[in-house]
Amino acid sequence: MGVTTDRDEQTDALSPRSASPAVARRRGRSKIALAVSVFGELLITAGLVLGLFVVYSLWWTNVLADRKADRQGDKVRDHWAAGEKDSGPGALDVKDGIGFLHVPAMHNGEVLVEKGTSESILNDGVAGYYTDPVKATLPTTGKTGNFTLAAHRDGHGAKFHNIDKLKNGDPVVFETKDDWYVYKVFAILPETSKYNVEVLTAVPKQAGVTKPGHYITLTTCTPVYTSEYRYIVWGELERVEKVDGKRTPPKELG
Amino acid sequence: MYGWIWRHLPGNAWVKALMSAVLVLAVVYVLFQYVFPWAEPLLPFNDVTVDNQ
Repeated sequence: MGVTTDRDEQTDALSPRSASPAVARRRGRSKIALAVSVFGELLITAGLVLGLFVVYSLWWTNVLADRKADRQGDKVRDHWAAGEKDSGPGALDVKDGIGFLHVPAMHNGEVLVEKGTSESILNDGVAGYYTDPVKATLPTTGKTGNFTLAAHRDGHGAKFHNIDKLKNGDPVVFETKDDWYVYKVFAILPETSKYNVEVLTAVPKQAGVTKPGHYITLTTCTPVYTSEYRYIVWGELERVEKVDGKRTPPKELG
Repeated sequence: MYGWIWRHLPGNAWVKALMSAVLVLAVVYVLFQYVFPWAEPLLPFNDVTVDNQ
């Protein structure tokens, strides 16, 4: 369509400036044709821009986030290797990240864990632990409570993309400088309201528990590519292993 | 619109094609670098946390 109108315009432009009524009529029609063609091109452009936005959301943000997460993860590992003390929660280097989450069922390697669940944190391709509305209890404190985490389902690293692959009994391992915290999944809530902050409480009743314990909660959005609902996975601490000199992973990660 | 741009680019068809490609890349760059990062938080596709708001 656009091509034909262009040709029309060109012929118009080439034709000598005559005042014959036929040309005038043709000019009038070509004005409408021009308007239609510009409108059509704008629509095509809008379509292309939306397509590019999908490419941006599902691919480019992953590239950026993975790059950033790798860099930050390396920094944390360097800190650890340099032998900086992290005994006691106060000494934790919370800015770069407190540790790594390993979930074999998600097939996504290690996920750096940082403080906070704001967009600016999570967009770096990490999992964030909640500080609001319910504060997460870090496993390193040794206290009972809920270690609540959030990460993106799609884009920005998509670290929890495969959260639906997790089944009851699957291991979720959190690695800090000194310890491996091995959790076992025991409850899954495949769809809940985004206002359901009850899932984050220290004793998440919706997971079917009534007693305080060392729990972990993973939250992300569902269904994929939207954020209509939230997907929740709960796990309970099974054991804590000391990290050895070679950082041999626990058998769950073997 | 695009026809107008094409006619107003200087040079022969090859130069025009090259300049068009550069223009397209510039537009994509601006979109990826500035427009999409601005628009994304305004769209309800990627909220992953539960909260009270």
